[in-house]
Parts: sequence; C-alpha cells; structure tokens
Amino acid sequence: MATQDQLMKLCFVTVGATASFNLLIQSILEQSFLRELRAHGYTHLLIQYGQDGKPLFDEFLRQYPPGSEGHHGLLIDGFDFNPDGLSYEMRLAKAWSSEGRVGGLIISHAGSGSIMDALRLGVPLVVVPNPTLKDNHQQELADILQEQGYLIAGQYWDLTTSLDRAEHLRVKMAHWPPISKDQQTSQPSLDQVMCDELGFLD
Amino acid sequence: MNSSVLTWTSLLWALALAGAVCISAALLLLYALLQSHKSQVPKWRPKNGPIHLLVVLGSGGHTAEMFSMLRRMKLDPTKYTYRTYIVSSGDKFSAKKAVEFETTYLTQDAASANAKKPVSTSGSYSIVTVPRARRVHQSYFTAPFSTLNSFWSCLLVLRGIHPDQGPVHSRPMQSPHPDIILTNGPATAVCVVLAARLLRLWHALNAVFGFKSKSDRNAISPDDFRLRTIFVESWARVTTLSLSGKLLLPFADRFLVQWPDLAGRKAWTGMRETEYVGTLVD
Repeated sequence: MATQDQLMKLCFVTVGATASFNLLIQSILEQSFLRELRAHGYTHLLIQYGQDGKPLFDEFLRQYPPGSEGHHGLLIDGFDFNPDGLSYEMRLAKAWSSEGRVGGLIISHAGSGSIMDALRLGVPLVVVPNPTLKDNHQQELADILQEQGYLIAGQYWDLTTSLDRAEHLRVKMAHWPPISKDQQTSQPSLDQVMCDELGFLD
Repeated sequence: MNSSVLTWTSLLWALALAGAVCISAALLLLYALLQSHKSQVPKWRPKNGPIHLLVVLGSGGHTAEMFSMLRRMKLDPTKYTYRTYIVSSGDKFSAKKAVEFETTYLTQDAASANAKKPVSTSGSYSIVTVPRARRVHQSYFTAPFSTLNSFWSCLLVLRGIHPDQGPVHSRPMQSPHPDIILTNGPATAVCVVLAARLLRLWHALNAVFGFKSKSDRNAISPDDFRLRTIFVESWARVTTLSLSGKLLLPFADRFLVQWPDLAGRKAWTGMRETEYVGTLVD
C-alpha cells in the first residue's frame, strides 16, 4: 500500500567547500523551518554543513535526539563535505519513481559551481547569498537568474517563504542550459572565437 | 660657482633626456599594444594542423565553470591535439578535475564519435603546477617576490621548458609555445597572459632587429601568431568585472563576457571592447 507519505521527498542543503556559512545552517535547523518542511511534504533533510558547521549540527542533535519531537518526523542527516563533489547528494532531490522519490529541493550557497550543478539536474533551487563574504557579487548572479526564471533568490533569515515559491517554480521552471546559439544570432560561440584567433586558412 | 651651475644644468639635461627616453619607450609599448589590439590574426594556419591549447585553472568555481564551458563547446581532442592545464600549487581539486575531464569526458566523446577507434588521451595532455602569486594570509611584504616567482614559472610553461611538461621531444608540436590560451580569471591568469604578451613582444622585436635563433629560422610558421589569449569573464560576474578582468582588459586578445551589462567595456579609447557572447557554461 504505497501511499503518498511513503515516497521520499528530500531537501538538500549545501554551503560549499570554500567558505563557511553558519547563518544558513542555523536557519535550517530552526524549529519553525523544520515544521514548514514537514508541512510541505518533505520526509528527508540532508545538510552539507562545511568544515565549521559540525558543532552547530552536533548541538542540534544533542538538543533534539533523532526521533524526538524536534525533528518533526523528518529524517535529518549531515556531513562536512565530499571531496568527490556533490552530484550524488544532489540527485537524491530529483524525482525518481522507481526508487520511490518525488521531486525535492536544493538550498545552496550562491557559488557558481553549485548553482550550475543544481540547474543541470532540473531540481527547484533556492540560492542563498552569503552576506559575510567580502566583495559580494553573489547577490547579483542570484537576482538575475531569478529574473530569468531559473531559481529562487532566498535570504537566510526568510527561508520559509522560499518553500512556497519553490513549489511554484517546480511547475514552471525555465530550461537549463539556455538554448544553444544558432546561426541567426550575432553572438559567436566559444569555438568560433578560438578559431578566429587561431587564424585558419579559408 | 660657475662650474657648479654647469654640473646642475648638465644633470638636469641628462634627467630630461632619460625621462624622454622612458616616456617614448612607454608610448611605443602602448602604441604596439594598441596596434596589436586592433589587428586581426592573419590567416596562416593550415586546417587540420596540430593545435596546442593551454587552459588556466583556478579555485573551485573558476575550474567548475571552465570545464562546463569546455563540455558545452564540445572540445574536440582531434582538433585541439595537445592540451596543457595550469593549476596553482596546493589546488588538488583542479588537477583532479582536469584528469577526470581528460580520462572520462574526452575519451568517451572521441569513442562515441568514432566507434571503431576508442582514443586514449594519455600523452596528449599535461598538467603543470605553478606557485601561487600570493597564498591566503601571506604577508604583503613577501607577495611581490612570490608573484615574480609565479610569473617566472608561467614563462617557463609558455616556453615549454617547465619540469612538469616532460621533455620537449615527447610532445608532437612544432613550436614550444601553446597556440591558444584560454582562461576565465583566476589570479594565475594574470601572470600567464602577461607572460604570453612578453614572449610575443620578444618575438616581434626579434623579427624587427633580425636576431633569429636556429629554431626560429627552421620553424614553418611565425611564433608571433601563437600565444593568442582569450579571457572569459566568470559567469558569476553580472555587473562588475573581476580584478583579474580589470587588469587584463588591455592585454587579452579577446575578452568575452557572459552578461549584457559588461558588454562594450574597454581599457581606453581605441582599444578592443569586451564582447557579449551570452552564457557559455552549461
């Protein structure tokens, strides 16, 4: 008796490998956010918390042991980082009926590598710029990609509204990567630019 | 009294002369830079000849974007027959990604295009490690020296004599120089592009003054048409150029940007503008 409740719906959170982003981890582990996750039908929460995020995660587990009320019925797990990349973990958020998974969600820091990885999968993506980084051009990338309908630019202090918006995005996500350039556009491809510079004989 | 006035005057004259020489040399260099920016590459290269591509890799995001672009353009290993990847010391991620790209993506791609002959890419690429210009937390007093060290290392790579490259005869190229240099803006890129310009200036001066080494005379094609540099501003840069981008704006032969706000920037009047080419990553 496979019911809707038994299907896995995973929310994957990643802060990347370079900088720590404990503000995001803190907001994710708040009781109000976990309650909202459950209310939106999520069953699993997986957190890549980075090198400095472990104390926060451990503190959460100490305060709310697995299975306790504080987990709101979610299966919550975490790890520092994966030197082989995060494609396996990200794929867990993709709908896969034969493995009993419905489409989930990726919440990511605004690093370009993580954004590209998530967009390629076609999973709804909430990008959260890290306000503690210097020379913060991340917000601009998040904003313009939101404008183009690829993702949701979130803020770490307001993640619950992003959950609603993610469900809307799931229905009408823009196709990634952007349509390949054809001959009609005046924009040259990278290969064309390289060939120009190589100076081939006609 | 009279003689001391004379010495002061001659000193002033000497200074003025030295100043004039310096200024005219600087103007000449600027003029050469301007001319090279305006001129097109002559069509000199036979089709299907070997091409040596040099790719500058950087930290996490830069490297991920670079391989994303190379995949999207479907880099053809039978066209770009030899590939050199420059990584910074201590950057294991980039070196690993380069090996992964060569051993899984390129071999797979070549095999699917030509099912009869699965091609091995081993021997047709090398990964070269150069010292970092400045490590995180390194003092600013020692930074100029480590930058020079890094620059020197890049010069060795471009001349094909860096120890990581192995013996010259093991590579199937006529010239020790790479034909084309592709980068998307890590700090090392500044050293690599400036080193390429310096080598090209050297070749140009050699051509003018006629000092030619034996190898130059035997070379079929002129070396000053090699070492072309293409700078792709990071996809993450939407409205402002990166520091590497600002520094390299007057030096890169082509400067590609992926967002419309960055189109049409130039170092100064008469220089080549940045070209908006849309999203290049996938």
